[in-house]
Amino acid sequence: MKSFRLATMFTAGLLLAPGHPFAQELSGQQVVRTLDRLQGGAPGIDLALLMEEAAASAGKGVAALPDWQKLSKLSQLMVEIDFENDSIAIEPKSYRTVGMIADALHHPNLRRYKFLVVGHTSSTGDAKHNLDLSQKRANAITEALSTTFAIAPDRLFAIGVGEEWPVDPSNPQAADNRRVQLVNLGLVK
Amino acid sequence: MSTRTRLLGGALVAFLALTGPARADTISFADAVSTLANDCGSDIKKFCKGLNLGSGRIQNCLEAHAAKVSPTCTSTLASVTTSIEQRLAAQSSFTAICKHYVAQFCSGVVGEGNILSCLNKATRVNEGQCGQAITDAGWR
Repeated sequence: MKSFRLATMFTAGLLLAPGHPFAQELSGQQVVRTLDRLQGGAPGIDLALLMEEAAASAGKGVAALPDWQKLSKLSQLMVEIDFENDSIAIEPKSYRTVGMIADALHHPNLRRYKFLVVGHTSSTGDAKHNLDLSQKRANAITEALSTTFAIAPDRLFAIGVGEEWPVDPSNPQAADNRRVQLVNLGLVK
Repeated sequence: MSTRTRLLGGALVAFLALTGPARADTISFADAVSTLANDCGSDIKKFCKGLNLGSGRIQNCLEAHAAKVSPTCTSTLASVTTSIEQRLAAQSSFTAICKHYVAQFCSGVVGEGNILSCLNKATRVNEGQCGQAITDAGWR
C-alpha cells in the first residue's frame, strides 16, 4: 500500500509539473480513476478524534496511531500545493493543482463521495506552529474548492497534521513532506 | 436521397453550425486557473499578497486595483470567471437537459457516472443540447 501511495504521489507531481502538456492531458482521467476506488466502503473516520490526537502528538508523530493509520487504507491522491511563506495564500503557480482537484470532484464518478483534505508540513520550524498552519492551509484549500469551484461544502473536510506524518520519515525536513493529501471518505450521506 | 439533396443537407448543417449561438466551449477548471496564474500571477503577487483564491478574494482584489493591473490580466480575469460559471452551469443542468436521452438510451442504468458513460456511447446524443451540455461540463 505504501509503495502505491508513493507512486501515486510521484505520478501526480509529474503530471502537475508545468510545461508537461502530454502529462497534463492525462491528469484529469487519472485523478478521477485514482480517487474512485472505494474498497468495501470507508471505515468510520472521526475527524474530531484525529484532530485531538494530532494536537496531543505535536512533535511526536501520528504515523503509529491506529486512527491515523485508517486513513492510509483509503483511496487517495497526494499533490504538492505551494503557499506563500508562513501564509495561507496559495501560490498562483499552484492554482492549476487546485483547479485539477475541482475538475475531478465535479466528475460524475466522484460527485457522490466526500473527501478529506489533509495538510502536511516538513519538520522545519516549531511543531505546534506547523500543526496550526497546516490546518489553516487545509481550510484554505477547502474554501477555494467550495467557493471558487462550487463544490458542496458537505463533501469537504479539512485537517492539518503539521509535521506529524512525514512521507519520508528518515528525512523529516525534506520538501517532499510538504504536501496535500486528498482522501475519499466514502458516500455523502 | 439525391446527390443534390445531400449536398444541400450538408450545406444546411454547416450553415447551422456556423451560425449557431456564438459561444466558446468551456475549458477545464485547471486550465482556467492556470491561465489566471499565467496572466495575473505577477499582479496577484504585487497587489494581493497574502490573499487566497477562495471566496472571491483574488477577484475582488484585482478588481479593486484595476487601474494598476495589466490589461491582459483584467481581460483574462473576466474570461476565466465566465468560463468557470459556464462550466458549473452546464454541470448543474446536465440531469434536466439530458433527461429524455437518459430515458431513451440508458433506462435502468444506475449512478451518475454510469449514466454519463452510457450517454457518451449513444452517438445521437452528440447532436442535441444534451451533447453540448456534456461537452461544456467537461465530461467527454
